[in-house]
Amino acid sequence: MTAAPHDSLTVEDLREMYRIMLLGRRFTERALELAWEKRLPVGLHPSAGQEAVGVGACYGLRPGDWVLPSLRTTEAFWTRGVTVLQMFNAVMGNSGSINSGKESFHHSGYPELGILAGTAMVGAQIPESVGVGWAMKMKKTDDVMVCFFGDGAAGRGDFHEGLNLAALLKVPVVFVCENNLYFQTVPGTVGQPIADIAERAAAYAMPGEVVDGQDVLAVYDAAQKAADRARAGGGPTLLECKTYRFMSHYPLMLEDSRPPEEVAHWKKRDPITILGRRLEEMGYQDAATARAVEDEILEEIERSFEKCAATPFADVSTAFANVYAEPLEDMGP
Amino acid sequence: MRNLELRAAIREALVQEMRRDETVHLFGEDVAYYGGILGVTKGMLEEFGPDRVMDTPISESGFAGMAVGAALMGLRPIIEMQFTGLITVAMDQLVNTGAKARYVHDGAMSVPMVVRSPHMMHGNAYMSQALEAWFTHIPGFKVVTPSTPADAKALMITSIRDPDPVLYVEHEDLYGVIGPVPEESEGAPLGRASIRREGSDVTVVAWLAMVPVADAAASELAAEGISVEVIDPRTLVPFDSERVLQSVRKTGRLVIVHEAVRRGGFGGEIAAMVAGSDAVSHLKAPIQRVANPGVPVPHAKGLNRAVLPDEDDVIAAVKRALD
Ligand SMILES: Cc1ncc(C[n+]2csc(CCOP(=O)(O)OP(=O)(O)O)c2C)c(N)n1
Ligand SMILES: [Mg+2]
Repeated sequence: MTAAPHDSLTVEDLREMYRIMLLGRRFTERALELAWEKRLPVGLHPSAGQEAVGVGACYGLRPGDWVLPSLRTTEAFWTRGVTVLQMFNAVMGNSGSINSGKESFHHSGYPELGILAGTAMVGAQIPESVGVGWAMKMKKTDDVMVCFFGDGAAGRGDFHEGLNLAALLKVPVVFVCENNLYFQTVPGTVGQPIADIAERAAAYAMPGEVVDGQDVLAVYDAAQKAADRARAGGGPTLLECKTYRFMSHYPLMLEDSRPPEEVAHWKKRDPITILGRRLEEMGYQDAATARAVEDEILEEIERSFEKCAATPFADVSTAFANVYAEPLEDMGP
Repeated sequence: MRNLELRAAIREALVQEMRRDETVHLFGEDVAYYGGILGVTKGMLEEFGPDRVMDTPISESGFAGMAVGAALMGLRPIIEMQFTGLITVAMDQLVNTGAKARYVHDGAMSVPMVVRSPHMMHGNAYMSQALEAWFTHIPGFKVVTPSTPADAKALMITSIRDPDPVLYVEHEDLYGVIGPVPEESEGAPLGRASIRREGSDVTVVAWLAMVPVADAAASELAAEGISVEVIDPRTLVPFDSERVLQSVRKTGRLVIVHEAVRRGGFGGEIAAMVAGSDAVSHLKAPIQRVANPGVPVPHAKGLNRAVLPDEDDVIAAVKRALD
């Protein structure tokens, strides 16, 4: 058997992947509690259940690489180094937010961490990512662009236009479709006449692969291979990570249209448990160390929220800044 | 100074900027091998090669989004929308991905891109639309509307060097207009209107192909002893409000001419600006707007002429203002 990319990950790497996934889960849970208590705006699309996709696809990235998260790729932020305080501040929209409160966290960009703010228009980031890849190629770097989107986005014309352009121009882009089997309330079978969106890659003469999105190491392996190919000039890849969200689409949508048996079935494939078990089998983690990781996360979350709650909102003049590079001399009629 | 056609003036600006700055890229449909359906980019593929002058698939949304991504990474893409009607297909990428990127990154990222929007008003109901007002409505976009070869070149240079998305409107009827164009240019500032003709009785504000139409109307009216001032704002965002207000204070009469549909057109904004300023007290007559009254642009010559403003419409409006 040839070595898989994850074979070269260290124990520390695996523990870190576990920690980031657990952090994502606990942050989401706490942010929702705080939202119900009206101490935080309801500002997130919960990624719970899908943590392995963002962590697996971003863990091996290097400085110089860029990512464009979808509305739900919270783990792209964590993996690239956004702090808990920054995330809380972004949800709150206070002066500590990376954009001073102009957008919530899922539309926030952290240029220094290689994260571009994704638009709210599902799928529009796909052509945008091709342009990022084109610039990387023109500058003769070996950087890659990782573009995340949901299964629903694969119904957009921008998916077709973007993948077609990406293949024609051989840009270093890894397309990561997070197929959580639903787009908002609607099952994927209503959105796609095929079982595997990855199959569409063939239509663009690009490699496509179905990946177990609950297994962070499987995602890591697929993403690393795709990134290596892109860095070497081999062009784009479409990865379809099969996954499932454990919560509703958006916290305010209380009713879940999905069959309870289906939800229960997928909850048995919790990405955090899957990696946790593997760590235990390898002797790298036991109940006590897992508890310690968890405690540290919970403590950091509380500490960060306290700081966030004590952070003032930006002066309202901020709302009017940075529309243009220089404010218009004459705002016009 | 040598004379150039406006089409060649635009091309010269593109070529000079691409020579000066290798981050400037041009893409769109038919722009490379054929040199643009309206011939603006002829010869550029040969000089700059297929990476920098690129024929794209028919993917207006795709290449508009691609331009935004490339601009965010430090390239300066110029995209040609072939005909303005086609811009409707790319609106999400331009209005959302493009125009909001600086704001949502709180100034940390820039989108230095130019969207070339060629008005081709004698074609069909779909392609022949004048949609510049849509973009004046979008915070983050600048809107440039040149009418002379010299302005076309200078404002293209400025648009390319501008750190924000610019809608650069071209007009097919003006491509053949000939005028003096400096060989060397460092661009011209946006937001400076030009007085095309000085006058004292009526102010006419017109842009793009309506500038020569207004000017011709003014010549005819001059023969009747009516003195018309023609102002070409040159850019709608930013807009040179003061130049227009000054003129209205002087003449007390205002006619606004554009090919875009009157309802929701930029002329309404100019009228509202005057109405909301001190210049209103100088008005001796109601403000007149000459525009498409609100119908799709028809194909047949006669119908087309009936819908779009022409010299006679401008003359009639000036006379109404003088009544
Ligand atoms: C173009 C567009 N249409 C509709 C919406 C409203 N909307 C927000 S999220 C969403 C579902 C997205 O589904 P998918 O792409 O599968 O991502 P998921 O939410 O499942 O992660 C919809 C329809 C939108 N934001 N953008
Ligand atoms: Mg989905």
